[in-house]
Amino acid sequence: MAVTAARASRRSESVAGWAFVSPAAVIILLFGAVPIVWSLVMSFQRNNLLSPHTPFVGLRNYRQLIHDPAVVSATEHTVIYTALFVPGTMIVGLFLAVAMNRELKFIWLYRTAAYATMAISTISEALVFIWLFDPSYGIVNYFFSAVGLPQQQFLNDPSQALGVIVVMTIWGWTGFAVVIYLAALQGVPKELTEAAAIDGAGRWATFRRVTLPLLSPASLFLAVWLTINALQLFDEVYLSTQGGPLGATTVLVYYVYVQAFQNFNFGYASAIAYLLFIVILVATAIQFRVGRRFTYYRS
Amino acid sequence: MGTNRLRALCTLIACALAAAGLAACGAGSGGSGSGKSISIWEGYTGAEQQEFTRLVAAYEKANPGVKVNVLQVNNDNTLQKVLTAVRGGTQPDIAYLYGSWAPNIAKIPQVVNLTKAVSKPSVNWNDFWVGERAVATVNGRVIGVPALVDNLAVVYNKTLFAQAGLTPPAATWTWSQFQADAKALTKPAIKQYGTAYVTPGSEDTVWHWEVLLWEAGGQILNPSNTKAAFNSPAGLASLNTLRTMAVTDHAMYLDPTDSPYANLFNSGKVGMLVTGPWDLSAFNNVHYGVQVMPEFPGTGGGHQTIAGPDNWVLFNNGAAQVSAAEKFVLWLTAPAQAKAFSLATGDLPIRQSVANAPGFTSQMNTALPGVDTFIANLGNVRQARPQIATYPQISQVLGPMIVSVLLGKSQPKAALDQAAAKVNSILAGSGS
Repeated sequence: MAVTAARASRRSESVAGWAFVSPAAVIILLFGAVPIVWSLVMSFQRNNLLSPHTPFVGLRNYRQLIHDPAVVSATEHTVIYTALFVPGTMIVGLFLAVAMNRELKFIWLYRTAAYATMAISTISEALVFIWLFDPSYGIVNYFFSAVGLPQQQFLNDPSQALGVIVVMTIWGWTGFAVVIYLAALQGVPKELTEAAAIDGAGRWATFRRVTLPLLSPASLFLAVWLTINALQLFDEVYLSTQGGPLGATTVLVYYVYVQAFQNFNFGYASAIAYLLFIVILVATAIQFRVGRRFTYYRS
Repeated sequence: MGTNRLRALCTLIACALAAAGLAACGAGSGGSGSGKSISIWEGYTGAEQQEFTRLVAAYEKANPGVKVNVLQVNNDNTLQKVLTAVRGGTQPDIAYLYGSWAPNIAKIPQVVNLTKAVSKPSVNWNDFWVGERAVATVNGRVIGVPALVDNLAVVYNKTLFAQAGLTPPAATWTWSQFQADAKALTKPAIKQYGTAYVTPGSEDTVWHWEVLLWEAGGQILNPSNTKAAFNSPAGLASLNTLRTMAVTDHAMYLDPTDSPYANLFNSGKVGMLVTGPWDLSAFNNVHYGVQVMPEFPGTGGGHQTIAGPDNWVLFNNGAAQVSAAEKFVLWLTAPAQAKAFSLATGDLPIRQSVANAPGFTSQMNTALPGVDTFIANLGNVRQARPQIATYPQISQVLGPMIVSVLLGKSQPKAALDQAAAKVNSILAGSGS
C-alpha cells in the first residue's frame, strides 16, 4: 500500500518536472536544434535560399572548401587570432584579478571598472579602437612618436590589422576573465598561503606553487570558454575592418557571412560552418584532455 | 507506468508546439488575403520615419477600410528576414530592399513582376531616373519600384581652399585639377590631407572607383556581361589617378573602416571628399561646397556619377494582396508623395518631374546646403553596375584590387590583370 502511494507521488512529481521543462525544451529544440540540423542538410545542397530549387550535391561543398584558398587563409587567421587572444586575455585578467584581490579603499570601484568592458557595446568598443589606432590621428602612434618608435599603419597594414583586433578583443573580454579569476582567488584558503610563507616561500613562489595550481579549474574554464568564443570571432571584424585590409582579418565566421549573405551561397557557407564546428569540437576536446592533467580540484 | 509518463510528455510537447505554431501564424501575414490589410517592412528612422508614418496615415484616411501594417526592420537585415519569411510562407506584401540585391532577389519565385503595372501611363515610369530604372529591372523584368536614390559628388572645404590660395572647383574641372588641389591641400605638419578614400575593400571602395572607370571611358564588363572589361587603358588611367594621390603625393587619407573620414572632414582635416548627400547633415563645423565629379578630358566620358538606388519589392500573397500592395506603392512613389518625402527628409527626389518642379531645388537647398548639386548630378547617372547575380563576387575581387594599389602593394597594371582573370573565372562559373 505504502509502496504504491510513494510510487504514485514519484510519478506525479516527474510529470510535474517534465511539465516545467518542456516549454523551454521545445523552444530550445525549435530555435537551436532545428537550425543546426537544417544547416547540416543545406551543407549537402546547392542552396541560395532564394529559389526553391535546391539540388543535393553530396560532398561537393566540402570538397570545394578544401581547395578554396580563402578558406585556408581564413582558418589561418582564426587560429593565429585564437592563439594570441586566449592566453592574452587570461594573463591580463589574472594580473588584474591578483592586483584587485586585496583590501583597498574604493576596491569596488576598480572591480566595477574592470568589469565595465563587458558591459560596453561592441560597436562603441570598435569605434574607440579605430580612433586609438588611427595611423595619423590616433593616440597610440602619438605615444610611439613620443618615445621615438616608428609610426605604424595598424588597420591599414595587412600584417598588423589582426593584431589590433586581438588587442581590441582582449580589452573587451578582460572584465570577464577578471571576474572569474577574482572569484577563484577568493576561494584560495588563507591557511595555505600562510603555511607556505611560514615554510619560507617568497611571494612569487607562493603564487606560483600554491595560488596558481588552485586557480587551475578557473583557468581551464576560461581557456575553453575563450577559445570557443575566439574561434567564432565576427562582430569586431564586421564593425571595423570588414575582413580587410586585403583579407588580413577575414576569419572563418566572417567568411561564412560573406558566402551566405553577400554571395548567396548558403550551401557552401553551411559546409564552412560545419568545418568550424569540427575545429571547435576538436579544440575543446584537446583542451579537456590536456587540461585534466594540469587541473587540480581541491576536495 | 512508463507509457503513461510518455503520453503525458507527448501531450505537453504537442501543446507547446501548437502554441508556438499559432504564434508563428499570428506574426506573419502570409496566405492569400482580401487586400484590406497590407504589410510592409521598411527601415526608416528619424525624419524619414516620421514622414513615412504621416504618408501611411494619409493613405489609410483616403482609402477607408484599408490598413497598412508597418514593421520596422534594420535595412541591413531585411533580406535575411525576407528569405526566412519566404521559406515559411509568411513574406510581407512589400519590403524595402537594397538595389544591390536586385539580381538575386529576382530569383525568389514569390517576387511580383511589376513590368505591366509600371507600364501604365499614369505611373509615368520614365519619370524615374535612368539609374533607378536600371537597378529596378533584371533581365527586362521590373522587380521593384524606386524607393531612394543617391549619387556621389565632391564635397570640399571652402576655408581650406581659400587658405591654400586655390580657386574652388568649377563644374568643368578635371581629375588632374583634383590631383593638384589635393596635393596643395595636403599639409603633413598639421596632419591635413587633400582628400580621403574608404578602403575596407567592400562595395563602398568599389563604387567610388567605378565612377572614375566610366569617366575614363571604361566599362566593368563587356556588353553581354560574360567577360571582364576593366583591364583597359581606362582602368589603368582610373587606378593611376588614385594611386598618384595615395602613394606618390601622400595626399589621400585611407580609411580602412569606413568611419573616421566624415569626422575628419567635419574637423577640417580633409580638403575634399567624394561622398553622397547622406553625409551633408553631419558637416556642421565646416564651410563646405559641393561640385560634380571631375572628368578625364578627351575620353568622351564626361562628368558622370553612380547611383545607389533602393527598391520597394512586392511579394505574392494572392491576387487581392498584390493589387492592394501595388496600389499603395504606386501612390507612395507618385510625384506628390515623392516631393513631400524629399522636402521633409532631404532625400534626393526619386522622380525627375519633382526635381524640375519650380522652387523645389531652392527649397531643398535651404534645409540642406549643397544638396542642389546632388539633385542636378542625378542627370549625370548614365550607367549602372552590371545587373547580374554574381556582381557581389566580382565586387569582392575589385575591392582588394583597388586597396592593394592604394596601399602601394601592387602596380595598377598587374592588379588589373590579376583581378580580370579572377572575374573571368567567376563569370565562367568556375569561381565559388
